[in-house]
Amino acid sequence: MSSENFVYPFTKIVGQEKMKKALLLNVVDPTIGGVLIKGEKGTAKSTAVRSLAQILPMRENVSNCVFRCDLSRPDTYCPYCSEKAAKGVALEPINTEIRVVELPLSATEDRVAGTLDIEHILKTGEKKFEPGILAQANGNLLYVDEVNLLDDHLVDLLLDSAAMGRNYVEREGVSFSHPSRFILVGTMNPEEGDLRPQLLDRFGLSVDVKGEKDAKFRAEVVKRRLKFDEDPAAYIKANEEEAKEMTRRITDAKLLFKKIETDDDAIDMVVGITTHFGVDGHRADITMMKAAKANAALDGRNEIDKDDIREVADLVLSHRIRRRPFESSVIDAGELEECLRTL
Amino acid sequence: MPSDAVMDTTSFPFSAVLGMDDAKKAIMCALVNPKIKCVLIKGRSGVAKSTIARSVRGICEKSIVNVPLNVANEQLFGGMDIESALKTGSPALKKGILGRADGNLIYFDDVNLADDTLTMSLLDSILCGRVIIEREGISSSYSVDAALIATMNPEEKEMSDHIMDRFDICANSSGEERKDEVLRRNMSYSDDPSLFCQSYSEEEEEIKNKIKRAKRILPTVRISDDLIQIIVELCGKIGAAGHRGDISVANTAMTLAALNDRDEVIKKDVEEAAILCLSHRRNYSPPPPPPEEDEKEEEEQDQEEEKEDEKEQNDDKNEPEEDWDEPEKDDKQDEPPPNMEGMLDEMLFEIGEQFKVIDFLGQGDKKRIKKTKSRMGRRETVESCDSTGRYSGYRMPRERVSDVALDATIREAATHQRSREKGSMAINIEESDLREKVRERRSGCTIMFVVDASGSIGVRKRMVAVKGAILSMLRESYVKRDRVGMMAFRRSSTEVILPPTKSVEYSHRKLEELPTGGKTPLGNALTEAGCYMATYSKHHPGESCYVVLLTDGRANVPMESGSDAISEAQEIAEKIKIHGVKWIVIDVASGFKRFNHAKELAMKLEGTYFRLDDLNAENLSAGVKALIS
Repeated sequence: MSSENFVYPFTKIVGQEKMKKALLLNVVDPTIGGVLIKGEKGTAKSTAVRSLAQILPMRENVSNCVFRCDLSRPDTYCPYCSEKAAKGVALEPINTEIRVVELPLSATEDRVAGTLDIEHILKTGEKKFEPGILAQANGNLLYVDEVNLLDDHLVDLLLDSAAMGRNYVEREGVSFSHPSRFILVGTMNPEEGDLRPQLLDRFGLSVDVKGEKDAKFRAEVVKRRLKFDEDPAAYIKANEEEAKEMTRRITDAKLLFKKIETDDDAIDMVVGITTHFGVDGHRADITMMKAAKANAALDGRNEIDKDDIREVADLVLSHRIRRRPFESSVIDAGELEECLRTL
Repeated sequence: MPSDAVMDTTSFPFSAVLGMDDAKKAIMCALVNPKIKCVLIKGRSGVAKSTIARSVRGICEKSIVNVPLNVANEQLFGGMDIESALKTGSPALKKGILGRADGNLIYFDDVNLADDTLTMSLLDSILCGRVIIEREGISSSYSVDAALIATMNPEEKEMSDHIMDRFDICANSSGEERKDEVLRRNMSYSDDPSLFCQSYSEEEEEIKNKIKRAKRILPTVRISDDLIQIIVELCGKIGAAGHRGDISVANTAMTLAALNDRDEVIKKDVEEAAILCLSHRRNYSPPPPPPEEDEKEEEEQDQEEEKEDEKEQNDDKNEPEEDWDEPEKDDKQDEPPPNMEGMLDEMLFEIGEQFKVIDFLGQGDKKRIKKTKSRMGRRETVESCDSTGRYSGYRMPRERVSDVALDATIREAATHQRSREKGSMAINIEESDLREKVRERRSGCTIMFVVDASGSIGVRKRMVAVKGAILSMLRESYVKRDRVGMMAFRRSSTEVILPPTKSVEYSHRKLEELPTGGKTPLGNALTEAGCYMATYSKHHPGESCYVVLLTDGRANVPMESGSDAISEAQEIAEKIKIHGVKWIVIDVASGFKRFNHAKELAMKLEGTYFRLDDLNAENLSAGVKALIS
């Protein structure tokens, strides 16, 4: 069997701590708004995203619903579920895995947003909505490789759904809407082009990845990969316990995170940082607070401290600091430290 | 309808949104006065534009109909009812989103990203209260009484003045200063949405009552002739075209009075109304004033409009001005004698960022760039040849159909169903019914800079100017998201420094590192650039390509040894003809002993000719950019 059918285990990725952290924070709190991973080729960007699927916990949703509506949020039900609920039909819960759904660059608009069900209309003469990728993505992770190369009209679709948590389809004779809440994960190689500002802003976090420079690290990367390629199934099996442990950690964090209070000190600190770095709007503040909470929860703590904010600050800020056209956006670690010290 | 089914907890309460006073006023005006139909909320990302627009749910009984960005024309306005056509065999109208919106509110997020014609028709339908449909056998109309609340983020794309003017009110929002309180409220909202919404239910009720009261008062509100006179003068002063501005201000002022429980409009109402209704109607380009005044005026506008933070930015931007003169002084001191060419080989000149005239274009004039952008919008869409792109319409197939427009095909077939044999299927589709999709994609253009990096350019420090020129064009393309590439020729060859990319940051870095020195292989450069662009334009159909050649037209490395390099280059120029590629020659020669080589080259390339020395702010924008649009 070829190794392509197997995905390299998440827990075995060497280094790239920031990237892994950014992904995990989003899993703990999906409302953080996803992550944009920028970096050169071959820095385990795609590997990390794809392998995340193995450690994602289960979630509860409505059974027999193609959109896998969230049982606890009746206000976001798809038309089918709300109709059932209105009729008084009890909706059954079912546990499903959170998946990584990929949006290929070549996807057509109708496949992404959903379209008219051809078979149904030909057979019955009645219109029916056939769900697309945005429907599959609901409650899952939506992964766009080379997101900066995505066609503008597909980006518009993403913007709409990411902003509202709902996909509205008004095309080809169909008028339909369904929940589409997903963790948006994009990877890009910045040399191939910038991202549209509006899409950039939708990403909660961003992280710059570089290949590991340290020879020891690099050797470890190669060693592990070779071992994996030799017998992928065995490698994954040997790693099973570690993966399960990680899943447990995430599940615990998801519960713990809800209990964390937002105290005034943390608010002052977050606002102090975003003000210092001159970030527009309020999205950065909200994201930073949520990310700090998720970070504390991942560590098994039920309150936020300075370190949580320190750890997530550059993930939140680096793509949001206003820059002139030709300045590259890098958060100066020293400046951040200085800013934190004075708060 | 699905959008109506969504309950209150999905949107943040209206009264819990801090600040955004203008947007709040605008929305309440639209809810009170049926004459105020189109409201635009404008602001940068994350200032709660969408939050406030969506929060309207909580303060009015009307339902909100959402218009998604990728909406198709017939879905928005209406078209043939397929199901009924299949049953009855005759075409009947099926109303679109606007039909559902009758008596309700329409919400359009990121309206500036939608197709211009669609936006225009939408606004016109709402303003005249009637939707008119003329398509595929349907000729019909229906009435729509609705108000539109739209949002836009000007960072990505501006809308044309023409469209902007259709909005009665444009509320600018710049984010709230009490960031900590905003954060606190957001966190408690996300912790427990229903609890949070409940805690604001009294405030929401109060606003509802305020709106109800204002509706009752509105018919009795009067405005004095003096105040009308003031409104008219105000509109005249800011150069608002047409009468929409005056009428909007008057209507809004009356509504504001009603909202304040008054039946008489006072001056304060007019002032507030003017801020809401006129900021987007200001005419930015009265007869072109001299540049300096122009800039001053714009600063004033910025101050008024976008308040403190904008102003600060402008101040920041002005800082480099003081440094402008320095490098030029340096230039004169460092000017090397002509025979030092060898020593200067491989020299890296810093980018002439401080190059005065060109820099002025890049930084000084925000408004003018915006203007150009909205005009640029026209060339942004082209028909796509493959099955990618936005489905914008359909047509009778030209050859074999590969991209079937199913909805259109079925609609076509629908009316014939009664007379056709269907077997076990519901519809019988014949070949004559087939329609194919017309897809369009937004496309920028590609600008390939071909730069003479030889020693002769370097020695006169012309490279600083050349880099400055490229830089200012790069800036322009950053705004438009065009692709920019760069080739440099020196010594005996031409090198692709940067394949066309949208990353301006990256091209800037490459420009910084551009090495200079050596001889001038102009003929080689023309050939290489020609070959490269020929392949490139073949792979990017529909993309407009430009080669901007920066040269003095002189050459000293012939392709064939022994022949005259300059005349050889001219010969090559005459032969090069690439479909879809236009040439722009920028003559970098300076001083008195200028030859006409570059000019001749431009003629032979059938391109446009400029002299670098003439490329100051004014005619660079009027020249190169006008050409590219």
